[in-house]
Amino acid sequence: MCRGLTRAFGSRLALDRLDLEVPTGSVFGFLGPNGAGKTTTVRLLLGILRPTGGEVRVLGLDPVRDGERVRAQCGVVLDQVGLYERLTAWQNLELAARIARIPPAERGRRVEAALRRVDLWDRRAERVSAYSKGMRQKLGVARALLAEPRLLILDEPTSGLDPENIVMLRELLLSLAQEGGRTIFLCTHLLDEAERLCDRVGILQAGRLRAVGSPTELAAGGRAAVRLRLSGAPEDLPGRLPLPDGARLAPAGEGEWRAELARAEDVEALVAALVGAGVGVRAVIPLGESLEEAYLRVVGGTEASRSAG
Amino acid sequence: MDDLATMLWKEAAELVGNRRYLRVFVLAVLALGILPGLAQPPAAPAPLVRLFLLLRLAYVLLAAVIMVAQTAPDLVLHERVGRTLDYLLATRLTDGAIFGGKVVVAAAVGYAGGLAAMGVQLVVADLRGGGGWQWLYLAFPVGRWIAFAVMAVLVAYVAVVGTFVALRVGDQRAAYMVTVASLFLPALPFVLHLATLSPTTGWFVRATALFALVVAAMAAAGFRLFRREMLALYLQE
Repeated sequence: MCRGLTRAFGSRLALDRLDLEVPTGSVFGFLGPNGAGKTTTVRLLLGILRPTGGEVRVLGLDPVRDGERVRAQCGVVLDQVGLYERLTAWQNLELAARIARIPPAERGRRVEAALRRVDLWDRRAERVSAYSKGMRQKLGVARALLAEPRLLILDEPTSGLDPENIVMLRELLLSLAQEGGRTIFLCTHLLDEAERLCDRVGILQAGRLRAVGSPTELAAGGRAAVRLRLSGAPEDLPGRLPLPDGARLAPAGEGEWRAELARAEDVEALVAALVGAGVGVRAVIPLGESLEEAYLRVVGGTEASRSAG
Repeated sequence: MDDLATMLWKEAAELVGNRRYLRVFVLAVLALGILPGLAQPPAAPAPLVRLFLLLRLAYVLLAAVIMVAQTAPDLVLHERVGRTLDYLLATRLTDGAIFGGKVVVAAAVGYAGGLAAMGVQLVVADLRGGGGWQWLYLAFPVGRWIAFAVMAVLVAYVAVVGTFVALRVGDQRAAYMVTVASLFLPALPFVLHLATLSPTTGWFVRATALFALVVAAMAAAGFRLFRREMLALYLQE
């Protein structure tokens, strides 16, 4: 939970009054372009950086005061996964197990289970320097999961991967998300990834949270677009109707019209207006928007308003 | 202590896994052990012989200092380059464990390097045809004190400086140069005539104890100065 969370570096605001609540056990996607403030947020959540304003609670703890306890309960995969190249995969995980203070008797079993989970058991004795980028990312996820953390923070886990490895890692994350019981905080700029994995997403831009909600809610964006099949509609139909505020109506081909409404519930008022004007309404087809379109609308709109400002 | 042990285990595993580093270590030990060991001692008089033995001891200290000056910045810089320092900062390890481990390992490597160079030097000198007299400096308290205690404090000093310099200076060559240059600091009191060296055991004991206190204070200041947040900001630069 963050309330008014702010972090400035000199005169530059990296994070500006972030209000955010991530329910326990959910998968939260933190979207935003590079430099939006996602990594700064992660560092604040982990107590690596101190906020310059506002407050933050992670798993009920204050990371500023209880940073060590917060970090002990978090598994983290950073944008640069940060594995020890001179060590083998086994040694990297053994280090993580030692850091997590897993008892020596249990360490081997836990490391083996983690390596098997990401299909790296057969290559456990190889140095990480011989690993491909995809294998490193998988090992990074295995390392983050080793201590069975209550919160898993993934900062751009598919960054720089080829499509095949993206699919492979996404399947791994999907299986983690489906297991439940663990909160996942996923920073990404890959929107289809967020759409598939996340219960809720937030869009961060220039340090400010521009939108938050489920992918479906964000895709709807509070607006609604519908395609209407009408009969008996005159060419100057929009001028004749008492359209709801912010609504636009335009012809979209043979007997079809496209309506854009400020609010989803305005569809009823539009249909009532059409019927009242003696126009036959044969079909109302909702037009969906992908999360990507919603993201571009939010980010693009903000960019446009900043440029105008 | 568990965390410090974890870091020691990690650093040791990394050093063992670094074959290039091990090669350099062995070569340095051999070079700084064999070459002084081959030198013939002066026939007489006694003060010259004593000076000759002190020079041999100086080579031992030099070997230790070179090892630690190379190792201490490297332990930090390769973590910066490989972005593993970001990972360590995101774990529950304390700052003290992370950097204490590095200081201890760097100092231990330097100390081990110095002892190894001393061993090689003495064996070579014996093989060259001495009657065992070249071991003499270890027979006297002041010689033993310099060989073991002064060397320990000296490597601790270089390890502390090298570790914290590398945290701030991201470039390996620059970090190494600053670390080596820091060796002139302990010599400053003598250069400025604030202190005079006296070749007695008592003087060396007092000087070493004072130097050890200074090193401990520097380490404490380093740990206070290089807090987690400060490091995260440096890494962000």
